[in-house]
Amino acid sequence: MAKDEGTRPVVPAHLPNCSRGSALAGRPGPPAGCRKLLRWPSARWAAGIYVAVPLIFGGSLAATTGLSLGGLAGYLPQASLDTAYSFLRMLAAYALSLGFSLAYGYYAATHRSGERVMIPILDILQSVPILGFFPFALLFFADATPGSWIGPNFASVFLIFTSMAWNMVFGVYESLKTLPADLKEAADTFGLGGSLRFRRVLFPATVNRLVYNSVLSWTAGWFFLVEAEIFSTGRSPLPGIGSYLSLAASQHHGEEFLAGLVVLVTLIAFLDFAVWRPLGHWAERFRYDQAPAGEGGELTPTRDTSGRFRRAASYVTRGVRTGVTRIRTPLVQLAAIGGRSGRRPSERRRSLTYYATLGAILVVGWLLLIAIVVGVFDALTGPISGPVRHLIFEVPTAMGVSVVRVVVAYLLCLAIALPLAIQFARSRRASRLGLPVIEVVASFPATALFPVIVFELIPYLSAEGAAVLMLMTGMMWYLFFNVLSGIRSLPPDLEEAARSYGLTGRRFLRRVLLPGIFPALVTGSITAFGGGWNTLIVAEYLSVGGGGTGQSLSVLGIGQLIDIATELGQPGNPLMAVALLTLVATVIAINELIWKPLYRRAVTQYRYD
Amino acid sequence: MSLIRIEHVDKSYASRHGTISIMQDVSFTVKDSDFLAIVGPSGCGKSTLLRLIQGLDRPSAGRIYFQDRPVDRVCKKMAMVFQSFALYPWLTVSQNVAFGLEALGWPEERIGPQVERYVSVTGLDGFQEAFPRELSGGMRQRVGLARALAVEPAVLLMDEPFSALDPLTAENLREEVLQLWRDPQLPPDAVLLVSHNIEEAIELADRVIVLSRRPGHILAEVEVTLPRPRDRKSAAFYELTDRVYSLITAGGQSLATAPAPEGAGRSGEAL
Repeated sequence: MAKDEGTRPVVPAHLPNCSRGSALAGRPGPPAGCRKLLRWPSARWAAGIYVAVPLIFGGSLAATTGLSLGGLAGYLPQASLDTAYSFLRMLAAYALSLGFSLAYGYYAATHRSGERVMIPILDILQSVPILGFFPFALLFFADATPGSWIGPNFASVFLIFTSMAWNMVFGVYESLKTLPADLKEAADTFGLGGSLRFRRVLFPATVNRLVYNSVLSWTAGWFFLVEAEIFSTGRSPLPGIGSYLSLAASQHHGEEFLAGLVVLVTLIAFLDFAVWRPLGHWAERFRYDQAPAGEGGELTPTRDTSGRFRRAASYVTRGVRTGVTRIRTPLVQLAAIGGRSGRRPSERRRSLTYYATLGAILVVGWLLLIAIVVGVFDALTGPISGPVRHLIFEVPTAMGVSVVRVVVAYLLCLAIALPLAIQFARSRRASRLGLPVIEVVASFPATALFPVIVFELIPYLSAEGAAVLMLMTGMMWYLFFNVLSGIRSLPPDLEEAARSYGLTGRRFLRRVLLPGIFPALVTGSITAFGGGWNTLIVAEYLSVGGGGTGQSLSVLGIGQLIDIATELGQPGNPLMAVALLTLVATVIAINELIWKPLYRRAVTQYRYD
Repeated sequence: MSLIRIEHVDKSYASRHGTISIMQDVSFTVKDSDFLAIVGPSGCGKSTLLRLIQGLDRPSAGRIYFQDRPVDRVCKKMAMVFQSFALYPWLTVSQNVAFGLEALGWPEERIGPQVERYVSVTGLDGFQEAFPRELSGGMRQRVGLARALAVEPAVLLMDEPFSALDPLTAENLREEVLQLWRDPQLPPDAVLLVSHNIEEAIELADRVIVLSRRPGHILAEVEVTLPRPRDRKSAAFYELTDRVYSLITAGGQSLATAPAPEGAGRSGEAL
């Protein structure tokens, strides 16, 4: 780090103003050359359409249902109370996550033997759709405290915790691992140990990433909080904003629903402005990874607090990078055996037949697994009932359908996120006006709108369309912020070189921009898929309102089967086990066999640093 | 009186390609009020030696004594100044200077005045509340120096302290370090400077220990008796510099850091 200082690039005075400005002042936004090059006419139109459509749609929806402000105000007290319940749950889960991430991350970063086990576990935990385990958690905690409010609350706090903790743990672990050796050594020379070492050196080293990852954790937390509360409304409703919203939507009480939204948005916006912004500003001093004095670089717009999400996105990206480059899970090692041919792994390009064979082996193994589970249940708890057995045979099809659904949602997200990100990177005005809005929208839990999607949009979209739309809300932002930060961190000199050779328009897109953002695109895709798997469980089967008044969405898929198994209770256990195993195995296989190799190629081939 | 005694120290690391020997059979002593410089080509284990002396690392063989007691843990009577400054970006200048004192468990009311004293000794007055990133390279190294001096060490260990600075800043800071060392009111008693800059070593030190390339062993111990302040342009200074260059090139065939010497060097006998 210090060596860099001596060789810090000095930009000669004769270079055009635009590139010097951005390199030296480190201000956000693209250099002038970049903006010129990104003249891709359809991007602006696409961005406009994507912004306009939901606005028009929401407006007309409000107009048709006939809302009055007075009626809305009447619901505010109840909505506030329920939001307060939810907020308490969030606080509890966050406190848990904070403690857990510090302890786990610290131990993994400082103990070699612990690290070898703990980090792969973490990698699997963060890639597995935890929501699938919610029914288990609910059963577990409810059984522990029968008939009490404590069990379901513990379960929901636990669920929120699982959505918050992992990225924070990675934050702590990585900031401790990347702490420059000389800072550790300086503490050694003064014999600084014990709690003082933690207080003065190790804890401060984690603060920056903890703050930025907390922003993401809270966003994910709200998303899952609402899901968790909706999820449990089937049995014993938890008082909270999620169940409030789903109940209001199921009874078509537009005003009640909107009052809930208003309170929730207000709270989230308040937290954003009063807590995260100042905290992000304060956390700047805890950074140790920046170029000293006069820092540049598009990824680190230090004075620009609205870059929080992009920073957070880049931190998540690094978390993924750790997961990919430092961890070799057994499956990866297994996959590597087939491709071992003396060449370096980065140069290895596997053939289609290799993937086909591997895929076939996996499918066979997976069918075998299902058979074993069925056998075990048959042997231990007596024969599985007919309907459940029938549902178990649907698992492979359901899994396939779910994969297709997630892929479709992903492609749609890509079609939106890419032009939108290019537009934001291209125009400083668009990013100044639009980004704060987008950040607020992104931190708002889309799950709160799920009841509306189910009750109001199904007639227009069909159940299938509604499911895909819900999936998209769980995938969109990861992709968008990663792509945006990828475009912004594209070195200005690459753009300048392209310009001097007259490379513009679509060719620029294909030759420079897309390869340049490829690593960011891959990490964005990995995290987006993670979000997608998690959303799957609510997106495929959502029964809101409960009782006779409820309306439900149900499309064939693995998420649907998990939910059905939950509702079946005890007899549904074999189905639950098979469905969860299938989902987890598929997710891990896709991560290990598609994303991780792709990511390794991205960082070895498309790296420009 | 010998302050530090280094006896037949070897250091080697296990690597994938077998053991790599960093240094072999290094022995010398540091006397009270010594200013000792260790020079040698890069990779000869100079910095490792410094870390062995403070006890941050253990020698593979041989012993190191501080005030006749073996160094078997980090010695708090010594303080290190780092090439990269190693300042904590989240601590202010004052807090960085107080760092070592807190580690020693000083009470708060004594830390304050001590920090003030060394902040002003190193010319950092007015910057107490600044953060390291707001300072220039030279000012940062002053903070590093103040942090080391504040614990009033018997020995100041300096690991390439001026290498990351521009030449002018480095020159100023060198003079100030010399003044601090000569001031009897102020610590430290002895200074151990590791450098790859031979002129720098000769300008500052009483004695220069010349290490060979890896595995490092002592080629020579050169006594510098030139009167201070030393003139880098004087013939005597030039001759001494040339001698050390020759020693290193002869002792270590190829050399990455030092420029080629003018004449053919003499063989590396002790002087």
